[in-house]
Amino acid sequence: MECKDIREIISAYVDGEASPEEIREVREHLGACAECRSAEQQMRALGVGVARVEGDVPPEFRDRLFARMEKEDLLPKRRSIFVFSVRWAAIPLAAAAALALYVMSSREIPREFSSPAVRPPQVAAPAGTLSPEDREIVANLEILEDPELFDEPPIDEMEIFVPSSRQRG
Amino acid sequence: MDGMRTDAELMELYRGGSRNAFEELFARHHRKVIHFCYRMTGDQARAEEAAQEVFMRIARAASTYQPTAKFTTWMYTIARRTTLNFLRDEKEHGEKIPIHATGEEGDPAEEYPLPGPEDWDPEQVVWGGELKEKFLEALQHLPEVNRVAFILNRGDGLSYEEVATVLGVTVQAVKSRIFRAREMLLAELSGLLQ
Repeated sequence: MECKDIREIISAYVDGEASPEEIREVREHLGACAECRSAEQQMRALGVGVARVEGDVPPEFRDRLFARMEKEDLLPKRRSIFVFSVRWAAIPLAAAAALALYVMSSREIPREFSSPAVRPPQVAAPAGTLSPEDREIVANLEILEDPELFDEPPIDEMEIFVPSSRQRG
Repeated sequence: MDGMRTDAELMELYRGGSRNAFEELFARHHRKVIHFCYRMTGDQARAEEAAQEVFMRIARAASTYQPTAKFTTWMYTIARRTTLNFLRDEKEHGEKIPIHATGEEGDPAEEYPLPGPEDWDPEQVVWGGELKEKFLEALQHLPEVNRVAFILNRGDGLSYEEVATVLGVTVQAVKSRIFRAREMLLAELSGLLQ
């Protein structure tokens, strides 16, 4: 095969796109043709060259693009940090509030008295320790328990007073 | 986890209103798009502007994306059309941007010479400074159809088949266009590649 006919196949060979049959032909030709070997090397160099040509990525490129997209409603706007934090803080805040409410309400039931000065009065104190006032109260309690001790007439002797406004009719 | 999702899945999520999905797609591909636009236009400012437009078009056309198509193929199809429109617009406004409609007719690099030592290593060419500038300039002198095929294949790593899908042509046409791009570039740069 002549050089001008095989150059296109060499180009595909350099790109890794030659068929097995083409690869065999190219290798055979390159082994015998210095000019095409040189061409092959230069073709490879051009491939390396185009890959090394790179544009710069400016730092503001992304922000500029996303601002344009947001303006055209092509990109959902990111929520502000404040809204986001309040939203996600709601759960721990609610939990903290519930815990505080529980602690405050449960203190009302089993009130602990750490100081003897604020202890509630003893209901059943030993008799020897009653003060004169306490003894009087206890004596009155006995009166309340026995209606005979009251100076009131029996129930059948009680007078019934009817209000004057209801005596007619 | 977004990092584990495919591009197609991210597109689906974006269509469903996910901002994070688009941000992930952008993070994965924006460099490729900028580099492609830079190679196609040969100018940093125009590349940035074109790349912005590529992503705007991707977003606008998200509803038309078919998950059966490879996302990058679809993305490069949009990128190619966008840069082509940019270059055409600039040409209409009198700027010096060479556009050749087909690039299939005529061959300035017919019978080009290929000097150079046989043991020359293409990987060792210093692609910086003047050579890089001249190379970028030479790329812009190529007809668009040859330039885009060569850039997609060698610059962006697309296979001939993928390039064919992006350009809507046969694999044989891609093979031919890339070869012609090489011929023309060598005609312009062979003196520097030694």
